[in-house]
Amino acid sequence: MGLFLKDINLKGKTALITGATKGLGRGTAQAIAEAGGNVIAIGRNQSELNSLGKIIRKLRVKYVSFDCDVNNYNRIESFISRLKSLDILVNNAGTNIPEPFLNVKKTSLETLLNVNTKAAFNIAQLCANQIIKLKKKQGSIINISSIFGLVAGQKRSVYSMTKFGVEGLTKGMALDLAKYNIRVNSVCPNIVLTPRTKKYFADKKYNKYIKDSTPINKVVTVSDVATAVTFLASEASSMITGSSVVIDGGWTAK
Amino acid sequence: MLKKINLKNKIALVTGAGKGLGKACSIALAEAGAKVIILSRTKSDLIKVGKMIKKTKGSSKAFVCDVTNIEEFKNVLKKISRLDILVNNAGNNRPEHFTKVKRENMEYLTNLNMKAAFNVAQLCSQKMVKAKNRKKIGGSIIHMSSQLGKVGCEGRNVYNMNKFGIEGLARGMAVELAPYNIRVNTVCPTFVETPMVKNFFKNKKFKKQMLSNIPLGRVAKESDVATAVAFLAGETSEMITGTSLVVDGGWTAK
Repeated sequence: MGLFLKDINLKGKTALITGATKGLGRGTAQAIAEAGGNVIAIGRNQSELNSLGKIIRKLRVKYVSFDCDVNNYNRIESFISRLKSLDILVNNAGTNIPEPFLNVKKTSLETLLNVNTKAAFNIAQLCANQIIKLKKKQGSIINISSIFGLVAGQKRSVYSMTKFGVEGLTKGMALDLAKYNIRVNSVCPNIVLTPRTKKYFADKKYNKYIKDSTPINKVVTVSDVATAVTFLASEASSMITGSSVVIDGGWTAK
Repeated sequence: MLKKINLKNKIALVTGAGKGLGKACSIALAEAGAKVIILSRTKSDLIKVGKMIKKTKGSSKAFVCDVTNIEEFKNVLKKISRLDILVNNAGNNRPEHFTKVKRENMEYLTNLNMKAAFNVAQLCSQKMVKAKNRKKIGGSIIHMSSQLGKVGCEGRNVYNMNKFGIEGLARGMAVELAPYNIRVNTVCPTFVETPMVKNFFKNKKFKKQMLSNIPLGRVAKESDVATAVAFLAGETSEMITGTSLVVDGGWTAK
């Protein structure tokens, strides 16, 4: 801690990260550990959770993993309610099934609403209650949103519906949790290159659309997002709540 | 994975650096390793800030300059070899009810908060794009906006007009300067513990009313804002442009 510059430091803090096996979740778990925070990783692949554990433990922080689908409310609830330490939630698990609005399948709609909206809500509620129960003096919840939480995109009608929803939830939660000094924010990245989005970048037409839509001529990296999340998780952002950090190289500025 | 706030080898210019937020930003940037060029109308203030920067083992250079005097500002820029970061901070406020706003106050605020802000940003940008390696090393311009660049507030109509304008300017600049890898963002603080706000808060009724509008129940510290500026100044935010970092304790989430 300097005179006016605060450190991004999570020593002694514990963060729960959903969707932690791959992409943004995995990178964020690592960044949080690099800032000194303990990691609780939830994901659906035990071997990937184990390989993440190897990386995290090398950073000399505690690591716990839980192989569980975020839609399984009962298992998630019993896990979170037994946590002895929790300060931060990175509400990351999410998915996307791009389809033109006229052709959106009922099953796609169900999947996206279940994961991106309902599970995100449930986990946020369970974690907020647990942070309050543990009598923490402060907490931070970061919802992983998207530029499509702010603007529309081709074949993204359902995804936009769920992510605009997360933006609303973020603001509502921020107000209700302010009296507990639990801050709630979202990060809104552009399309980040991850295992899930690889196929979008492989599509030449879509690749060009991404490039043409991003004034800064670069692709957002997992590290860009993980750094912003870690900043929001730490006391370096202690007056930031109910807001979104937009990491989009200028996409939504236009 | 986690990028640290590190501004070594960067040259930053801060306007309105003598007091309040400008002073805090200058010191925070110096703490992050930048060489800071500090501008203010008041020489004695600059001497104090320069001493504080020296104490944190930072480096600074001071110029007495009224940013509303464009020739004066051009002369300062002539004495600087290079520029990587601008904190466009100089600004003021004279709260009056809309029907009672004095013409000279509207003129004064608009000349300082908009016209001078534009001119300073334009002249600095012209200097920044000249660096041959700009695309590689990037640049960052941070406008000091306000939560009142996002929402209205009683007696703040001129300030609202000015700061909403700055929000627009930031987005326009972001799009146009992206090809040079110069990022442009704003910071939108709520009321901060500065000499200007302390003066407003002498009115106890006003203070109570304002605090009741901040869900976190406290005003921001200068370090909260200065840390956000430092985060936006360097590589920690290399894909963040054309957006706002809202440091308002939840004011605008309502």
